[in-house]
Amino acid sequence: MIKTFYPALLVIAPLLAALLCSGFSWIQKKFCYPIVLVGLAISLFSAFKLLMIVLTSGTIQYRMAGWAPPFGIEYRIDLLNAVVLLIVSAIALINLVASHKSVLQDMKEKLGAFYSVYVLFVTGLLGVVATGDLFNLYVLLEITSLTSYALIAMGDPDRSPIASLNYLFIGVIGASFYLLGVGYLYIMTGSLNMINVADILQNLHGSSAVLIGFIFCMLGLWIKMALFPLHIWLPNAYSYTSISVGRLIAPLMTKIMVYVMIRLMLNVFGFNYIFETLELSKVVVWIASIAIIAGGVMALAQKNVKKIFAYIIVSEIGYMVGGAWLGNQTGMTGSILHIINDAVMTFALFLVVGNITFCLKNAHLNNFKGLFSKMPWTMAGLVLAGFSIIGVPPTCGFFSKWYLILGGIEAGAYHFVGALIISSLICAILFFKIFEISFFESSIQNKQQNEHKNHDKIAGITEAPVSMLISLGLTSATLIILGVYSDSIVKNIITPFLTQYKMVI
Amino acid sequence: MKYIGLLIVAVCGGILLSATSDFPDWGYSQSPASTYLSNHYIEKSIEETGVPNLVTSVLADYRSFDTMFETAVIFCAGLVCFLLLRNYNRQKKFFYRHISTGVVLCFKDNCKNLPASKKFEQMDADWIPHDLIIMTVCRILIPFIQIYALYVVAHGDFSPGGGFQGGVIFGSSFILLAISYNLQTAMKKIKEKILGLLSALGVLIYVGIGIICMFLGGNFLDYSQLAKILPVDPIHVRALGMLGVEIGVGIAVMAVMVVIYVNIASEGRHDEGL
Repeated sequence: MIKTFYPALLVIAPLLAALLCSGFSWIQKKFCYPIVLVGLAISLFSAFKLLMIVLTSGTIQYRMAGWAPPFGIEYRIDLLNAVVLLIVSAIALINLVASHKSVLQDMKEKLGAFYSVYVLFVTGLLGVVATGDLFNLYVLLEITSLTSYALIAMGDPDRSPIASLNYLFIGVIGASFYLLGVGYLYIMTGSLNMINVADILQNLHGSSAVLIGFIFCMLGLWIKMALFPLHIWLPNAYSYTSISVGRLIAPLMTKIMVYVMIRLMLNVFGFNYIFETLELSKVVVWIASIAIIAGGVMALAQKNVKKIFAYIIVSEIGYMVGGAWLGNQTGMTGSILHIINDAVMTFALFLVVGNITFCLKNAHLNNFKGLFSKMPWTMAGLVLAGFSIIGVPPTCGFFSKWYLILGGIEAGAYHFVGALIISSLICAILFFKIFEISFFESSIQNKQQNEHKNHDKIAGITEAPVSMLISLGLTSATLIILGVYSDSIVKNIITPFLTQYKMVI
Repeated sequence: MKYIGLLIVAVCGGILLSATSDFPDWGYSQSPASTYLSNHYIEKSIEETGVPNLVTSVLADYRSFDTMFETAVIFCAGLVCFLLLRNYNRQKKFFYRHISTGVVLCFKDNCKNLPASKKFEQMDADWIPHDLIIMTVCRILIPFIQIYALYVVAHGDFSPGGGFQGGVIFGSSFILLAISYNLQTAMKKIKEKILGLLSALGVLIYVGIGIICMFLGGNFLDYSQLAKILPVDPIHVRALGMLGVEIGVGIAVMAVMVVIYVNIASEGRHDEGL
């Protein structure tokens, strides 16, 4: 076993930052931002270190409080965790830098408390990903949910509290379903450590209580990740909240829930149990296919760009759930790759929306007229992110979709393949609609403006602040880098991970 | 829509109930939940952790990492209450009472608060004359409640109790003060800034003990490492570590209870309410 303290540091640094930030908000407010920045930077550094260690010398087990696993709590970092941890901490840090200005404007007296809740949210996510204990996962899920309700309610003062309240009701149901499932598993196995539970479950495949535990865990996670019929809370919650929060929650929350689902499927219940004993996979793939189409169609009906992107998330969740439930290695590879890629893609999209709302105060589609000449860099980022969502080759979205489609064909799930292709077309329509409005309608509007006001101030470039542009540039570059190196990600990270958990047929 | 909801609830409940037939029998001594880990905790906890109270040993030692985050959840609840409810817009009307004569003055339209003086006291808009019996009884009771709270915190590792319970009892003494007198009296005793600092400090004590253990060369929250700096034997030091953690939890819970009460009762204005 490798001796390293990074797994603890990863979670403790942001937690400590949250506490200090909350304390300093009463004494000296200007320290809040640097403290939070340092906390997240430390966790990004430890995530990076963890990935390096895992790549060179295999899975890391860290015993919290020094007790050996089934008795104590264990952090277990393998290849999948390490990558997801890196993505989470990087996105949280970049968003913190990008949203510094708008948070200063919005929060005023509550700045310290806001940053503190922000870091607590990230702490929760990191803990959910790193933990190897079913109940510890629930506790951290609770922190994540509690903070995300609060963060979402801090947006538009008229609408966001109600959206957040709806999210709270549904989210609490989801979390308690998960807890019920874990409770059933505990009664049947007497253990909470994931690996240990998996070992005991080997002999309990026929038990109906385990089946119900499994179904309730999955239902809870599907509610939290907004799989199609359970998605009602998502669009309002993500589009009415302030953009600095939306950018953090939209890319991470749902993706982390997909990660937890995959972790439970592979590590706790095991491949054989789910795909050979239960044979539920066909039903779930159908649901996922419907989710993909429904998300796309609902996105077409929206006028607000934030809402369009929120419905695209609903559709993307369908991709990941479907891929994971196809029951073959290619589908699972696509699904895991898509967690990484989709987090970055969604983040890029919401960074674009953030820049636009920072300058125009509103993300309605009508305001997009002439944006290509007004905000060229931001729109370049939107083009790249849009191409990635559609799945145009050099960007990363293409590769995960490719694996998903291959997996669908391999499993004979042609409805899933069809849904993927139709959804790509819908995304193409959506993005080209946005491009068209913002590229071609510029001249007409400017002409009218000039006739009325006789000055062409509107035609000048009014870009977002540099910190926002740099974050967007960095994220867009990552889209291409992830695309170019997706082969080595699959070869070095995902395939070894799946082999480790015997997901090879 | 109502019936659909009812149907879903009935189906979920039915499914959950149907699976209970597969459970081990009620109170069955050989069920996995009562044989697999429990035996170890019951038999070994005293020699491994040095704490007679089994529940505390599981809560604050074997699964102390969970408990740390439970405390963080509570801290987070207080913070979220502050973030969402705290309202810095002042109320339109203020009432001040001249103490010796009982004449009440009304200040309207955003005038400034009077500086604190011995002649005037601020009072609530829906003020009812203080009830002498309630005030006296509460004044006598509150110190005892607080001492009892400290007892519960300190005895967490020997008898039922601990930081969460003690903290709630301590917090409730301030709430009792606010109810029996008024919100301002309670807020004079313990200011908002102090509450905010205490709630962070409580969790900080917990995390700090964990980090000290890490610096001493052990894993996070591995109390046995504290033996290097405390002059007691390695088993007993675990009990001391747990005591420290319980004190942290107690402080955090106490502060958060009061923060939540004050923010909800006064709709975030911290001037009057209930």
